[in-house]
Amino acid sequence: MRKFIYAALIAASTIIAIQSCKKSGGSTTPEESPAFDRKAMLINISANIILPAYTSFQTATANLDAAVTAFNASPDNTKLVALQSAFQAAYKQWQSTSVFEFGPAETATLRVNVNTYPTDVNQINANVTAGTYDPNILANLSAKGLPALDYLLFGTGADNNAILLMYTTDSRAANRRAYLAKLSAELKAEAATVLSGWGSYRATFEGSVGTATGSSTSSLINQLVYDYEILKNYEVGIPAGVQSMGTTFPTKVQAYYSKMSLQLALLHTQAIQNIYTGKSAQGDGQGLDDYLIKSNAKAKDGSSLNTTILNQFAAAITKLQGLTDPLSANIVSNPAAVTAAYTELQKLTVLLKTDMTSSLGILITFGDNDGD
Amino acid sequence: MTEINTPKHIAPLAVFRIAFGTIMLISTLRFILKGWIEAFYIQPVFHFTFYGFHWVKAPAATGMYTLFALLVISSLLVTIGLFYRIAIGTFFLCFTYVELIDQTTYLNHYYLISVMAFLLILVPANRYFSADVWRKPQLYTECVPAWTINIFKLQLLLVYLFAGISKLNYDWLIAAMPLSIWLPASSWMPVIGQLLSKFWVASAFSWFGALFDLFIPFLLIRKETRKPAYIVVIIFHLATALFFKIGMFPYIMITVTTIFFSADTHLEILSFLNTLRSVKAKESHGSHRYAESYLIPLQKMDLIYAVLIIHFSLQLLIPLRYLLYPGKLYWTEEGYRFSWRVMLMEKGGTIFFHVKDPSTGRTSEITNPQYLTRFQENMMATQPDMILQYAHFLAEEYQKKGIKNPVVTAQSYVTLNGSGSRLYIDSTVNLANETESFDHKKWILPFDKN
Repeated sequence: MRKFIYAALIAASTIIAIQSCKKSGGSTTPEESPAFDRKAMLINISANIILPAYTSFQTATANLDAAVTAFNASPDNTKLVALQSAFQAAYKQWQSTSVFEFGPAETATLRVNVNTYPTDVNQINANVTAGTYDPNILANLSAKGLPALDYLLFGTGADNNAILLMYTTDSRAANRRAYLAKLSAELKAEAATVLSGWGSYRATFEGSVGTATGSSTSSLINQLVYDYEILKNYEVGIPAGVQSMGTTFPTKVQAYYSKMSLQLALLHTQAIQNIYTGKSAQGDGQGLDDYLIKSNAKAKDGSSLNTTILNQFAAAITKLQGLTDPLSANIVSNPAAVTAAYTELQKLTVLLKTDMTSSLGILITFGDNDGD
Repeated sequence: MTEINTPKHIAPLAVFRIAFGTIMLISTLRFILKGWIEAFYIQPVFHFTFYGFHWVKAPAATGMYTLFALLVISSLLVTIGLFYRIAIGTFFLCFTYVELIDQTTYLNHYYLISVMAFLLILVPANRYFSADVWRKPQLYTECVPAWTINIFKLQLLLVYLFAGISKLNYDWLIAAMPLSIWLPASSWMPVIGQLLSKFWVASAFSWFGALFDLFIPFLLIRKETRKPAYIVVIIFHLATALFFKIGMFPYIMITVTTIFFSADTHLEILSFLNTLRSVKAKESHGSHRYAESYLIPLQKMDLIYAVLIIHFSLQLLIPLRYLLYPGKLYWTEEGYRFSWRVMLMEKGGTIFFHVKDPSTGRTSEITNPQYLTRFQENMMATQPDMILQYAHFLAEEYQKKGIKNPVVTAQSYVTLNGSGSRLYIDSTVNLANETESFDHKKWILPFDKN
């Protein structure tokens, strides 16, 4: 054994000599400062961003439901416009509410219940014809929520006069009104459930200060990245044909019938940026940007990763702003501009998904690892 | 030659068998209870196989559960020492087969388990303190040749030594990477939390880790240092368990390193276990009616020697194969696996595949989640051989969809130890035309030049 030990030691020192001493990172010595206060970030995000988002969404869906009730009681043009406007307000609010699919929202599978699109017009019409609607069957997932209302309120006629007829003189007007009521009531109930769930979940969220899978920071970052990918793929990429050999699907955009797809995509991007920066009506609180700065995270060129991410948010938003609503028409008339916006959104995916999570040592895998 | 043929008391081997069987039983049950059979082997539609092992396929759900049932039963049999050779052989085969199904789940400690199980097949670990001896008293043995115990010490020595050597580089020792990324993630911990985000703490951990790996096997071998060294083993591995999500690894190492203790210590352990048992085994009787020394026919011995020489030669050479490849090892990962390189890098990536129909020039981006689990996608994004395998799979899929000779390219961004993400592989190369081999993959872009 002794001989072997000597041999091993000699071999070891040879290898050490050979082993490359090249440096990996553009990273420099982290600052000698106290650790980042994850709890402060979680408190800022839950108190100033998440709870206000759910509160607003709950209000918006309650207003929507009230507008449906008013409209159904005596359908006329004024009440239709009011209802459409309540719907648009709810859809806009959803853009800053969709990210947080953990805790109560995960339990309620809020995201797919509220916003599965493209909506299934045939399924909706079948439900209207039959006069029945079961919210629990899978086929109705794409016949409910905001996208179904988008069709019912904007897509059932060429203009508001034609749409109004579908709720007044059409042979299935009563069924259609009942369907509206069921959908808006369902949304209202879901929003209320999740909001009330946060009443007790908030302490859990703010108290889970670790970084393992299932911790609040990990859940938040995972869902932020996931929701951002939905934005990139479903709101822009897939309709623009990036996953279908260039064949475009303009009707697959979010809010196709109400023609506010781009406006929503911009709101959505902005909302994700606000979570990242920790900005809210209360000012610029602790966010992931502060976390990255504290971790001294660097981008490829050695500059601050936070700056790179903010620049990429700006670049993506600029490209989106270069487009116009209806996005579906843009996709047909100027597909290159839409795919150019998609490319900028894609770059941000890499920064959020890879650079940010890796710099923070946040676990996103499910199995064990041995660090390789 | 004293380390090979000197008669030694069998006790360390018996304890090792019990310890290994027990920890494997726990490990397997934990795997099952976490639902990982479903998540890792049943759900995925595609599996990343190892080069040369493409014939290893994941059986259907029933088959998968049968494999794990066999693992549970065989590790239990190994523990109590019943039908030992069949049990440890079954364990080795089933475990290795499961590991070969998908390299997504590759872990160095799973490889270590396969190696240890293989070595256990060669030794008479059931001839003392076992159900086999109770069943067939003539198997009872007190003396075994030293090699039957020393092969495990040698194996563990190699594991620690190579793990230590791999830490002797700039990233680990000077930049304190990846610990200066990983440790601050635990800053929420009470008392020590604030310290963990200090650079000097990450440096200290890095240096201690390297020194630990390099010297601990020798300190365990020396009688004078053994006890304190084992206490350090326990503290070190428990600390890694606390900070990192590395599953059973720390507990496995704490368990298997007991092999370094003397026969006397192991006899004490066994007599302690004996007091726990209700049924007393035959070996406790005083009169020596049975053969006490383990004798192996010469021919069989030659075979075992040959196997061991080949095994340990490979164990010495495989971790060094990376020297044959150009480029930065952590970046290319050519020659990275099976080398006891643990906890060495924080690497992450995002990869977008594109399939082009050469007849129309039109391109589709692939939604990876339709074929891969998130775990698979994450692991694939940073490992070139997996990227290539997936690209070939995509080429086949699109061939089936009626596209002739689809062109598969990948836009892949990888960050290594906080370097910031950069292009990983040449995004202009048609991966469908590249073949897997042990040669250097020229389409991996160099780390420094982009």
